[in-house]
Formats: sequence, C-alpha cells, structure tokens
Amino acid sequence: MLSASLLIALGWILTAGIAGLSHAFSITLVLPATSVILLCHVAFDRERSLAAGMTMAIILGYLEDLHQGLPTGTLTLAFALVYLALSWLSLRLAVSGSIVRALTALIACFAVDLLTWGILVALADPLGISREGLRSGLRMIHWHALATMLAAPAVWGMIAGLDAFVRRRRRGTKSANPGTQLPFRH
Amino acid sequence: MATSSRTIRDVFVVLLLLGIPLLLLRSATQDPHRLSPFDRTVRRIGGPLEAGLGYAATTVGSFFERWLLQARLQEINAEVNGENRLLRLRLRELLRVEEENRELRRSLQMRDKVAEDMLAAEVTAFEQSPYFRVLKLVLDRGDRFVLPGMAVLADTGVVGRIDRVTDDRSDVMLITDPRSKVAVEVARTRAAGILEGAGEDHCIVVVASETPVEVGDFIQTTGVDDLFPKSHPVGRVVAVENLVGDQQRLEVLPAVRFDRLNMAWVILASAPPPDSQAELRRAQPAARGLQPLR
Repeated sequence: MLSASLLIALGWILTAGIAGLSHAFSITLVLPATSVILLCHVAFDRERSLAAGMTMAIILGYLEDLHQGLPTGTLTLAFALVYLALSWLSLRLAVSGSIVRALTALIACFAVDLLTWGILVALADPLGISREGLRSGLRMIHWHALATMLAAPAVWGMIAGLDAFVRRRRRGTKSANPGTQLPFRH
Repeated sequence: MATSSRTIRDVFVVLLLLGIPLLLLRSATQDPHRLSPFDRTVRRIGGPLEAGLGYAATTVGSFFERWLLQARLQEINAEVNGENRLLRLRLRELLRVEEENRELRRSLQMRDKVAEDMLAAEVTAFEQSPYFRVLKLVLDRGDRFVLPGMAVLADTGVVGRIDRVTDDRSDVMLITDPRSKVAVEVARTRAAGILEGAGEDHCIVVVASETPVEVGDFIQTTGVDDLFPKSHPVGRVVAVENLVGDQQRLEVLPAVRFDRLNMAWVILASAPPPDSQAELRRAQPAARGLQPLR
C-alpha cells in the first residue's frame, strides 16, 4: 500500500503538472482532474480507514482549490462528499480493469464538478460570482470528465508503478536489515 | 456492539472532517471587515498555512511550466534558427544586389557627368605589387571595342589608359604607373602641370607656385590632351615640396581605389564641339487654332 503522503505528493505533482501544461499550451477545457482519479483509487483500494481516506480527500481537494483559484473549501467539500459516496460504492462494487477504472473516473469527475457547481451556485451571492457565468461553465463539464476518463488508465498505471517501486525498495531494505541476518561467528 | 461503536466513531470522525471544508467555505464567504472571533481565528491559523501552500503550489506549478516551456522553446528555437539562416542568406543576397544597384546608379550618373562617348567595362583581374598595391587592371573588352591609348575612368576619378589590347581583354596602365602622363590642374588655383606616375600608390606633379598649393587640394584633369574629359577628379595633394625656381612638387594620392574597382569606363571618342547654330536651326512649331488672322 502506498503511504498517504506519497499519494498526496503524487496528486500535487500531477495537479501542478497539469496546471503548467495548460498554461504552456493554452488549454483550458480538456484537462484531466488527476486528483479525482487518485480519489477513486483511495476509495476503491479499501486499504485505508474511512477517516484516513477522508483526510486525504480533504487535502487533495484543498490543493486543487489552491491550484484552480476557487474559493477555499469548495473543491475540498466536493472531494470529501464524493469520497464518502465512492467509499459507500466500494462496499458494493469492485473496480478492476482499465475500462471500468476509466468509467469510474468519468462518473466521479462528473460528481465532483456538479457538486462544485452546486456549491458555487448556492454561495454565488456571498462570493460575488455571476450565475450566468456559472451556467455557461456547466456546459463545459463533459469535456473535463472526458479528459479525466482518458487520463485515468495512465494515472492508475502510474500509481501501480509507484506502488511496485515502493514495495521493491521496502523488500530491499528489509533484506539489508542486519537484524534479519545470521549473527557473525567469531 | 463493537461494530456499532466503530460505526459511531466513524460517523463522528466523518462529521468532524466535513466540518473542515465547511469552516473553510464559511471563512471564504465572510466579509473580511466583519469577521466573528471564530472566523478570525480560522483565518489566522489558515492564512499562513494557505500562503505557504500557495507559494509551494506556485513554485511546483512554475517548475512544470518552465520545464514544458523549455521543451517548447527548444522547438521554436530550432525553427527560428532555420528561419534566421534563410534570412541571413537573403540579406547577403540583398546586400549584393544593393551594391550592384549603387554601382549601376553611379554608372548612370557617370553618363550624365561625362559628355564623351564611353563604353562600360568590367574589371576582371588586377596585378599587385609585393606590397599589395595594384599595378595593372584587366578589363573585359578586347580589340573589337577599344584601342591602346584610350582613357579609362571610374565614377570617382581617372583610372589610366588602355595599354595593351588582346582579342577579349585589355590591360590598363594606371595613373600611378611611371610611364603614365596626364594633363592636370589644381582645382583651387588652376595651376596646370603634367601628372606622372611614381609607382605604388601615388603620383607626382610639378606646378608653378604663384598661388601656393596646400595639402588637401584637389587635382583634376584639364582636358587639353583631348584624351581625358575636362575637370574629372584625379586625386588629392598629400605632400607639397617647394622647388627652386618658383615651382612646387606635389605628391598626389589617386581618387580611385584601384583594388576596389569593379567597373570602369573607356572613353571611345572626345565630346563633339558645341554647335553654335543649334539654337537658330530649331524649328518654330506652328500655333494651331488660336493664331491671329492674317
């Protein structure tokens, strides 16, 4: 199992990488939400407690808030709620294979975007956001979800690769541990 | 019982954790001038944390941006370099054309300046001394066009005379050649003399010193030899030596840079004398339509 800090670091790097990519190539619509894919992984690998997974969801959402420039707490709340829903789903469904993972990421991305949109509409007045702008933004959600779906197998593969690397390292450290070796004979 | 207590604990933790984004959202929606003590505390704690994380996010983002931009810039750089190479070639070609154009313009002006019948010729080669001074020029005109003794000019001044002619080329004896003699005068004082070549890159002329000649005075042709056109520049005085018997020996530097000459003009025939009857012979055009009745 990958440690939470490693997953968060990977999520952060991917978010920053995508932000850099979007700036460099002037792409604003078809960008994958890599943190949502990580969120799906955290929810469906079922190796963490609900509290730990939720904490990770909140941290990933908070980092997304910072990178996307949204009012702090918007994506944090959306990520937390979607994580709860995904955790509940993980008790009933198993996600394996690239296609199912991609579809899961698509649905999760839709859910996060719709929740974010709902939160922003609800808080449009105190936040001073135009509802017209939000309505036009809603029409672009499917592009975001589609990009996330396309990126999902790659990100999942990246997590698997990192996991295998960490396991190898741990095994190597364990075998090199003098405590596990035979004592010297004088 | 154990399961239910775990469930209760989970619910409690989830509610507690859900409170974090709600608090953050509440803090974001508050008017910054009218914050409750609780919101102020949240901001006080969250502010530095957010600033730190924001700074880190920007740094990480800018790193990726720079990394990607660098890859893109390398491609652009290769494109720009290729374009630059082409433009440099084009510029070189344009400079060559510009120089040619300038030369042609000067040649056209030469036609206006000199009334004599002239033939343009290209300098195809030149002979140099061990000190890299030009001793002889070779023109691309053979005996079908020019004859030995014909004067050779450039737009900047007198070059010399045709010395030897073959089928397709002719050698030019420069004014610096010791065999060369040209009738000249000092442009300012009109003091006349015979300019003789002194080898290498200068000439000598001896003139009367009634009006003293100074260094920097211009020397030009007199036209009395019926060979060179009148008042064409020859060179500039670089040294003056007073001789016995009211005479001055002038050292003249030719106006033409022989090593940079690409084109020259051969004087084929002297200009015809002015026609004094030309004005009288001009026919008066008959007025039409409005002439008075006779």
